[in-house]
Amino acid sequence: MQHLANVTELRARVDEPAIKVDGLSHVYAGADGGVAALLDITLAVGKGRFVVIVGPSGCGKTSLLMMLAGLRQPSQGTISCLGRPIPKPDPQRVGVIFQEASLFPWLSTLDNIEFPLSLRGVARAERRRRSEAMLRLVGLEGFGERYPHELSGGMKQRVSIARGLVQDPPLLLMDEPFAALDEQTRMTMGHELLRIWSTTQKTVVFITHSLTEAVYLADEVLVMSARPGRIIDHIQVTLPRPRSYEMMATEAFGQLRERIWQQIRKAA
Amino acid sequence: MTRAQIIATRLALLVLVLGAWELLPRLGVVNALLLPPLSQVLVTLADLLGRASVQEAVAVTALEVIVAFIIAVPLGAAAGIVIAENAYLSEIFKPVLFYVFSIPKSIFLPMFILVFGIGFQQKVAYAAFTTGFVVLMSATAAVESVRPDHILVARSYGATQSQILWRVYVPSMLPFLLETLRISMIFNFTGVMIAEMYASRTGIGHLIANWGENFQMPQLFAGVIVLSAVAIIFNEGVRALEARCSTWRT
Repeated sequence: MQHLANVTELRARVDEPAIKVDGLSHVYAGADGGVAALLDITLAVGKGRFVVIVGPSGCGKTSLLMMLAGLRQPSQGTISCLGRPIPKPDPQRVGVIFQEASLFPWLSTLDNIEFPLSLRGVARAERRRRSEAMLRLVGLEGFGERYPHELSGGMKQRVSIARGLVQDPPLLLMDEPFAALDEQTRMTMGHELLRIWSTTQKTVVFITHSLTEAVYLADEVLVMSARPGRIIDHIQVTLPRPRSYEMMATEAFGQLRERIWQQIRKAA
Repeated sequence: MTRAQIIATRLALLVLVLGAWELLPRLGVVNALLLPPLSQVLVTLADLLGRASVQEAVAVTALEVIVAFIIAVPLGAAAGIVIAENAYLSEIFKPVLFYVFSIPKSIFLPMFILVFGIGFQQKVAYAAFTTGFVVLMSATAAVESVRPDHILVARSYGATQSQILWRVYVPSMLPFLLETLRISMIFNFTGVMIAEMYASRTGIGHLIANWGENFQMPQLFAGVIVLSAVAIIFNEGVRALEARCSTWRT
């Protein structure tokens, strides 16, 4: 019996989603009793899935992401990342990539990528080895000694992705990472991200305003309502992988995009 | 214009000014008693630098400047950073500080003389007082230059409070702090000079004031040359450091 119990427990762990959110609500304290930002959010993100969250501005998407990253604590409900709560940032479990690349202007590209490792006191040679591997992964070989002001917007965001991946966290949270880029760079970056994702097998939670980007990238799309943010739709994107730019012109792509758009319009 | 041409033009201007300084008094265009020729001033300068009394005055002034600087910079910077970082203190003190900052500090000099006398302490206290304000105001601005998104990134990668201080705050603020150092030294030097010229028994400022009162123009100009050289050398030294940090200034 003991043996059987162990097997069941093991199976439960294998099947356990990478992220589980249960009954999460959040109220920002204020003079007039506070603002309800998130309302009763329950969701699960399977291991290795690419989940995109869309929703109107100010619906609390970023707040939710901050909580998944351990940067903020919800007023109510529980979050479990890889089977454990996340009371504070844990960069070895969760990597975060923000809208602004936010590279440190006083560090070179390689030093920026190594920053998370140097915080943990990883030895210099090991840091260099890993940051150079990340640099190759994001396609920036030869730019390691450059400083952020010498890089374009797209390149900066690549560095920021490399920095997010350097500790090899199984979970990657991305808050509108390509929103500040021009349309063409944005599409290229999305494509690059899918390539990186397919080679690294990460679980990704990705926030965006762009419906095209959402459908192009996602396995699943979660649609959130206006404040207080709730999950109002959960859409499976069944388009085959690898995705290509040509798919955007297909009817299936258009229908998915249209369904999300209808939901967001209702939500706003 | 090429770099070489610009430098040549600057040198030509310098030669022109120095040449005029030498020739105009000699030709009687300006009164040589009010503006002695450059060569005469330089001879006087060499003579003065060899005198024990002048050497002592220079040493006293240098010590006053250094001590005031050492007191004012850390105190002002610490106060500025604490005020800028603490929302409550910032709310209380910022307007007050801005009001006080606008007052010319020299009007407080008589009070410093009453409290500290006319010796070393008075010079140091007055200079530190004027400098401390400048440092405090700049340190406040330096803290505000730290980008919140940089702090958020560091936090998301698990940085501790002290790691955030040393790896985000300090490098973000460094260019501003160097600028502050440079400007505060100008104020510091000015503070010591004013205090020495106002009431003192020694120091280079005291000598300059005396030479002026006694109509010893070659000595007065020699003093001006020495002080200008010291001030410019310090200023340019810090500026060179600043230039090295300029890669991340943006």
